[in-house]
Order: sequence, then C-alpha cells, then structure tokens
Amino acid sequence: MKIPWYQEPIIDESEILSSRVRLARNIKKYPFRRKLTTTDAAGMVAEASEAVTMGGNFFRRLDLENFSKTEQTVFLEKHIVSPEFLNGNLPKGLLISDDQNVSVMLNEEDHVRIQSVKPGDNLAQAFETAGHIDDLIEERVEFAFDTEYGYLTACPTNTGTGLRASYMIHLPCLSRADTNLSSHLFSNLAKFGVAIRGIYGEGTAPMGSIYQISNQNTLGKSELDIIAGLQSVTQNVIAQERAEQEKIRKTNLRHLEDIVFRAYGIVTNCRLISAGEAMNLLSDIRLGYITGLLDAPKPQKQIYQIMMEIQPAHLQRTRGEDLDEMQRDIIRADYLREIF
Amino acid sequence: MYCQKCQTNPASLHMQQFINGKKVELHLCQECAFKVDNPEMLVSLENIFKGFLDQITAQHFPQNAATPNVTGKTPTPPRAPAKACTRCGMTFHKFKTGGRLGCDVCYKSFKAEVEVLLKNVQGSTRHEGKYPRRMGAGIFNKRQVTELRDKLKKAIEQEDFEDAARLRDEIRALEGAEKEVKV
Repeated sequence: MKIPWYQEPIIDESEILSSRVRLARNIKKYPFRRKLTTTDAAGMVAEASEAVTMGGNFFRRLDLENFSKTEQTVFLEKHIVSPEFLNGNLPKGLLISDDQNVSVMLNEEDHVRIQSVKPGDNLAQAFETAGHIDDLIEERVEFAFDTEYGYLTACPTNTGTGLRASYMIHLPCLSRADTNLSSHLFSNLAKFGVAIRGIYGEGTAPMGSIYQISNQNTLGKSELDIIAGLQSVTQNVIAQERAEQEKIRKTNLRHLEDIVFRAYGIVTNCRLISAGEAMNLLSDIRLGYITGLLDAPKPQKQIYQIMMEIQPAHLQRTRGEDLDEMQRDIIRADYLREIF
Repeated sequence: MYCQKCQTNPASLHMQQFINGKKVELHLCQECAFKVDNPEMLVSLENIFKGFLDQITAQHFPQNAATPNVTGKTPTPPRAPAKACTRCGMTFHKFKTGGRLGCDVCYKSFKAEVEVLLKNVQGSTRHEGKYPRRMGAGIFNKRQVTELRDKLKKAIEQEDFEDAARLRDEIRALEGAEKEVKV
C-alpha cells in the first residue's frame, strides 16, 4: 500500500521536502473556461473524467459537493486543490489516486490540470507520472495544441509545455539570515527563470521557513531542460543555506543550540499555541534533527506532516467542525505535546 | 496590520515572493485568502502579467491601448474597431483586462499580440517540448523539416553544396516518412 508523500521518512532527510509537477491542458473541442457554458462545462468534465478513469482503477472521482467546507479546505492545506478551483461556480471534477500523490483537477483555470507529487528530490519521476496520465487522457480526447506554440492554455504564461515544476524546500538558516542576503539571493533567481515564494506568519520570515521554488517560463525549452534548470538553481540555493548554517555553527554554536532546544522546550510544554508560532518552532526543531544538534527521539511522524496537521482545517476535521480560535490553540498544544 | 483586500479584518496570512527579481508582498485575512482568485500561488504572476500586457499594448499596438495617448501635439490615432476571436468572440480588450484567452483560436485571432506577449513573458515563441502522441511523428517531422530547410537555405547561400545535398536527402527522407505515417 502506497502512502501519501508527506508520510515518507525521506522528506525529513534534506532541505527538499517534495517535488511537484503540474501539467496544464485544454480540450480542443471546448472553449477555455472564460467562454465555457454550464452545459459545455458539464460535458467537458464528464468526457475528461471518463478519459482519466478508462485508463485503469488508478483514480477515484470525488464529488466536491459531498464534502464540507472544512474537508474542502483540508484539500487546500494539502495543496491538492487551488482556491480558484474550490471557488469556481461551473461544473468541475476532482480525480485523485489512492495515495493522494496524483490528482487531476477538471475545469480549473484550464480544462485539465494534472498534478504529481513525490517525496524528496524526485522531479523527473514526478514528471514521468504526470506525463503518463497526460498520455492516458490524450488517447481519448484531443488537446488544444499548436505546432509552433505547443499546448495552448487560458493564460499565455502557461503556454508551450504547460509545465510548472516546483520543489518545496526548508531554508531555516537563510530565512533567519540578514534579510538583505536572502532578498539579494532570491531576486537573482529571476535571472534563471525561477520564482521563489514563502508563506509566512507574523514578522518577516516565511512561516516555517518553507518555500516553494518553481520555473517561470513554460515555452522555448523542453520539459526535461526546464526540470534540469530548476534542479541546478535549487542546488545552488541549498548550498547557500548550508553555507549560512555552517557560518552560524562556527561563529555562534551556542546560539544555534539555544534556538533548537528552546523550540523543543516550548513544543513539549506549551498549553496554547497558534499555527504560526507552532510552524516556526517545528521549523527550528527540524533544523535540530537535520544538523544532529537535537538528540531527543524523533517523533513517529515527519515534521512536515505535523506542520500540516496543525493547520486550522486539519484540526477541525479531526476534532470537530465548529472550534473557535482559542479551542484550536488548546487542541494544537495538546497534540504537539502528545507527539513529541 | 489589516487585510489588503477587505481592509477590515486583521491580516493573518502573509506572503512574499520574488518574481522577475521584484519582491511582492501580500497580507490577507483568512476569509479573503480563501477567496483569492489564483490557482497555485496567492500573489500571482497575474498582476505582473497584466502590467506586461498594458505595457506591450501601449508600445506595439497603440490603437488597442486602454487609454489613448493624448499628447496635445499629435492627434490621438482613431481606435481600431475591436478585433474579436472568430471562434469564441473574445476581444483583445477583454483579454487585456481579464488576462485570460477565450479559446485555442484566440492564439490565431490575436497572433500578432500574442507573439509579442510570449516573447516578453516567456522569452520565446517556439515550443520545444512534448507533443501529443496522436499527432504522431508527422508533427515532429514538420518541425525538423522546417529546421532543415533553414539550414539548406544557408548552405546554398554559402555555396556549400556538399552539405546542401545531404540536407536535401534528409528532408526527402523525413517527408517520405511523414507520408507513411499519414497512410
């Protein structure tokens, strides 16, 4: 039985948590979403989901209407669906593999959005899986394709390969470092056609120091070249993260230890904790395990999995739909003490 | 700090990203964050992309620009009648404000505009990646034949007839293969 990517131990072994590939496709027979009628949308979704499921029992089709708002937000927190997809009013479809690592959104910005995630540094494999699903669908429907421009998409920023490849990476030392350094590094990435972004809580550092790094351009290069380019830029960013880590270790080891052990102390003793604070402490604890500074036994779950499970919708799903913020903070603290 | 969208709730989601070397920040409350109309990234390429669209239109297609360029000295060029896509009826103006095309034919209906846009946003106008299998070897050959013909032209110009003969044979072989595929 395969498990979701975030349960694989490999994701806690290096800076790279996961590799993700998204392919955007449109069915030639139908106009893009902006010009799609409700009837056509329903027809398109039916046709495409049949094409996906005919290829085998790999996918389950989920009817979003049967899911509560909280359950839908859980999909969002897991990055399986996008806000645009959830908010879309036209008929839509979601197909998902048993391990939830491969999914197909029907009638998002484009008719077909194939997504494949692998744990750790596995972009090429993620692309292979997405490409396989692409071939499968293409056996039954004709995609909008132009010999010159490649796969045609609603937004020209996706035209060509329709490929968005991305890594989720953990950069605790860079995000702690002098902001000028990280700003400089990140703005330089644009020269290589790479964009980086982070979700962050209060303050200036991204929440949990977790970033997503992805290709900006989808046209003019083959899929494998795009992937190779992103790989090499990411390796450079990781080298910078390690250099920064080494620098802190050499100049102020006691400070680094303090960060790690203080985080561990709070997480194992807190009685109330917000998602943002917890994310940052978990990030420091992850740094502690990776550097070997933290000698406490590692929890059964991967740190990123814990980060996801303390998100509001995840907590509400397991502990009750109508929790207020204070109740969530209590449950979150209890949950963390139980796990560590 | 208050949510940038509704300006009423405190912002609880803060994002920053670097696109084209520019730092973009977004501060939203939970409610607005959920509503943000963007696929996989909250602050999207969308804003930047729209900026591009405006810039490009103003530079290359002044007749399509949203605000005519009134300088006082030169009379404003008359606005061209709105060009519409032959398949879906999308106009270039609508595309410019919405940032999304209406169908595959839009790429042909607004070819000149799209071409400039792709050059600016993507840095290329030529697909080098995967092609649908159902289009078979034919499409791949066509692309190769175009490239070989370019080379052949150059070889002839440079009077490199040995190369030219080899290229001509390669083109013939590929065109033959394509016919086989079609049958």
